[in-house]
Amino acid sequence: MRLFARLASLWRTLFRKDALDRELDEELRAVVATLADRHVAAGLTPEAAERAAIASLGGATGLQRTKSAVRDARLGGALDALFLDVRQAWRSLGHARRLTGVIVVTLALGIGATAAIFSVVRAMLIEPLPYRDPEQLAFVWLDGAARGYGHAPMSGPDFHDLRTASRTIAAFGAIWATGTIALDGGRGSGLAPEQLRSAFVTTNFFDLLGVRPELGRTFQPDDATRPTILLGWELFQRRYGGDAGIVGRTVLVNDQPTTVVGVMPPTFRLLMPPDASVPDRLQAWQPFWPEMEQGPRGNLFLRVVARMRPGVTIDQARADIGGVSAAIAQAIGAPRPFTTLGLHDEAVRDLRGPILVLFAGVGVLLTIACVNVAGLLVARAASRRRETSLRLALGAGRPRLLRQALVEGLLLTGAGAALGTALGWAGLRALVAFAPASLDRIRGAELDATVIACTAGVSIAWGLLLTLAPASELLAADASVLAGARGRLHAGPARYRTRAVLVAVQVALSVVLLVGAGLLLRTFVAVQQVDPGFSANGRLTVKIALPESRYSERPAILAADRELRRRLAAIPGVRAVGAISHLPYDDLPNWALTYAPDGTTTREGHPSADTRAVAPGFFETFGVQLLDGRTFTEDESPTTPIVVVDDLLARRLWPGQSAIGKTFLAGQAFPDKRVTVVGVVRHLRQRSLVAELMPQIFLPYQFWQRSPMAYVVRADRDPGALAQDVRAAIAGVDPHLPLYDLRPLAAFVETARATRRFTMQLAAGFAAAALALTGLGVYGVLAYAVAVRQRDIGVRRALGADTRRVIAEVVREGLALTVAGGAIGLAAAALGAERLGSQLYAVAPRDPLTYAIGFGLVLLCAVVACVVPAMRAAAVSPMDALRSE
Amino acid sequence: MARTPTGIMKGTLPLLVLKTLALEPRHGVGIADRILQTTGGTFQASPGSLFPVLHRLEQEGFVEGEWSTTPEGRRAKYYRLTPAGQRQLAAEKKQWAKVALAIGQVLESE
Repeated sequence: MRLFARLASLWRTLFRKDALDRELDEELRAVVATLADRHVAAGLTPEAAERAAIASLGGATGLQRTKSAVRDARLGGALDALFLDVRQAWRSLGHARRLTGVIVVTLALGIGATAAIFSVVRAMLIEPLPYRDPEQLAFVWLDGAARGYGHAPMSGPDFHDLRTASRTIAAFGAIWATGTIALDGGRGSGLAPEQLRSAFVTTNFFDLLGVRPELGRTFQPDDATRPTILLGWELFQRRYGGDAGIVGRTVLVNDQPTTVVGVMPPTFRLLMPPDASVPDRLQAWQPFWPEMEQGPRGNLFLRVVARMRPGVTIDQARADIGGVSAAIAQAIGAPRPFTTLGLHDEAVRDLRGPILVLFAGVGVLLTIACVNVAGLLVARAASRRRETSLRLALGAGRPRLLRQALVEGLLLTGAGAALGTALGWAGLRALVAFAPASLDRIRGAELDATVIACTAGVSIAWGLLLTLAPASELLAADASVLAGARGRLHAGPARYRTRAVLVAVQVALSVVLLVGAGLLLRTFVAVQQVDPGFSANGRLTVKIALPESRYSERPAILAADRELRRRLAAIPGVRAVGAISHLPYDDLPNWALTYAPDGTTTREGHPSADTRAVAPGFFETFGVQLLDGRTFTEDESPTTPIVVVDDLLARRLWPGQSAIGKTFLAGQAFPDKRVTVVGVVRHLRQRSLVAELMPQIFLPYQFWQRSPMAYVVRADRDPGALAQDVRAAIAGVDPHLPLYDLRPLAAFVETARATRRFTMQLAAGFAAAALALTGLGVYGVLAYAVAVRQRDIGVRRALGADTRRVIAEVVREGLALTVAGGAIGLAAAALGAERLGSQLYAVAPRDPLTYAIGFGLVLLCAVVACVVPAMRAAAVSPMDALRSE
Repeated sequence: MARTPTGIMKGTLPLLVLKTLALEPRHGVGIADRILQTTGGTFQASPGSLFPVLHRLEQEGFVEGEWSTTPEGRRAKYYRLTPAGQRQLAAEKKQWAKVALAIGQVLESE
């Protein structure tokens, strides 16, 4: 209420100035008149009396001065009442400039890091997907867990059944980012042919998401019956120079005249689950062929998005789809389970873990920073005890002093938040610059009003809390101290205990951060050391798609492949050449075949194996270890299927026996295909460095041709320097062969580690900052303890206590705090590490070594922080100490 | 005994004004007269310092201004103590007593 009254009066003073001035004029005229009356009574003429009255008020100048003094008093009164505290706080903070600086920078670091990470969290986890009513979108997987294929795509008939039988879903759409298409400008267009990463979509796909094209239109139902294509913005700009005239024109796609129906906007993002193999940056889309829904049920390729009807919850949709699943199971005589999940949850599934870990880490760091600041403020309040007592004695009320402490806290956090926002902005730019492609969405992160508002909210909350620390000091201060004038002005044990607790809390939190970062670091090292079953270094890869128009027959395709490998092998320095349908860690949709022992008659429910087509020389070029039998040669039969399998599959089908010469059934899609094993190789970690995935089947290229194929060259030379020669060799086979993705194999492997590297580095950075802050905190509390007991120490030294004992005592005190805090920290870390679970690999959440090292580092830091105050204590001269009071 | 009027000790004028108004409402000139009279002519509140203090007290809600007529028939702005002003006066009196005592002790100890 008082505050409101003050604001009201400030408002009047500032904005009702004229009325107040008029009233003041009138008041002063009345004064002049009253004084003049007295002069008249004393016998002056009215004129002379008025002159005399004005003169007694200092003349006209004096009156003006009085008026302006009144105005200033009013304004000053209004402002002072509001800002007196601020001014006082500012002054008192200004006195302790270094301390204020340390506090503001500490807060700014904590707040800045939090703001940066929070904007990342918001952009990647909280922000809704950029589609219409995104909460109504779901992703539907075929649940292949029984076959070792957790999230599997579904087949055309599955899609058909879902589309026609479900009641809760307004529309189903599907996408399949199968590979590439060759785009040619047509004769005389002057544009070179190129390979595009593209996808097939159902014609309703974009409408279902609720996204609009930038130009032209998206697909219509009848587009499926004629060749049409929708372009991505990047392609439209790069290849067609942003010429809107391309819409409606015909381009050659895989040598087929195809109509461009539209262009998607630059903002369009395709945010699908990570294992859907639908990269965000597709360059073009085409509708599925009309008979898409009629393929065999074993042909699993459709990534399905569902838009639930308004008001339908994900649980209702799941139940509905479960009903369809049961109906299909009845019809085909085998289970057909589906997994229905919210699209948003699915899209951020792999990001959630790492980002929440970072968020938790930065939260702990912010807490450490604030606890540190609280400790500093308590120290400061303690050191100003005499001043506080003096002011209490002079009648300043405790509420007044508390209010001032509050204002100080808010001023500090305000300054910290301002600087922190700037730091956060810079930090976010750095994060975006260094983020790996897997965290691509980070680029949408912005330090906007919401983030700043949240940061400010946290800061204010901390400001209030920070006030409580020195407030305890205020409440303890006593005016009676003055009476004793030279009484014990330093803090008693209670004050020391407050700070000790704060330091112990810091130590505990630091241990938590260090252990967390340590676990992530050890995970990263372990992942780095994972042997993927092949060697990535010194290999260059390039993808080549053979245009269907010229390479439709098997002999032509095989001849081209042979010639490509021959020419690549002829490049000076090249030691080996091979080719494979899928490079490790690429974003192509996986291929898998089911496998079953020979003689199996059931057609459903068999496990799956990743399947790759490889050309001769692949295993040698990749450095894959051959365990048994042989690899493929140039002379494999195009009709008799032979395979190389990995040791996983060999062990599963023929445990304890040699697999060579054995046969098994491969592929639901080819139920009669009995294949013969000619070789066994070591399992290749090709889809995930860490996850145990499915076994592998390799088919010879002669039997199973795929386009595009990735050619791999191993050379003595730097792979980067090979690029020109590789291009020339390929052009030598066919100058019109589009090649793309020319890059070292190591780059693919690095992408598989990138997210972990990023998380680990940030966590390590947080841990280092935590360590530094904690060191500062331990140092601060000990330096204070020493200063407070300088007299005691001096007396004891005067009585002959040995220097070493004094040092030992101080260090022991610091270490006791550290050990107590550390023990709590270790317990907290053990609880928290459970949450890290999925982020860890090859290291237990309670790995003793990591805990020991984390604790050890904090302890080391604490010892260093103890030494300086201890030395100072030891250096105290008994005389000085006694005189200092 | 008559004394030479002097300026008022910094910071004490508000207290004197509040005390003066505690008896009855007065206008500006009346307040100055009363202060001069009660301090036996020691303290003279000049208009240049009195009016800013009055307005500030008014703004802080300790006094209230009201236009009225003087016994001489002139219109003047009368100031009256508010309840908040009475509390403030009590607080300042206590405060003053402390300070006066402290200063007195300091002076006597010399």
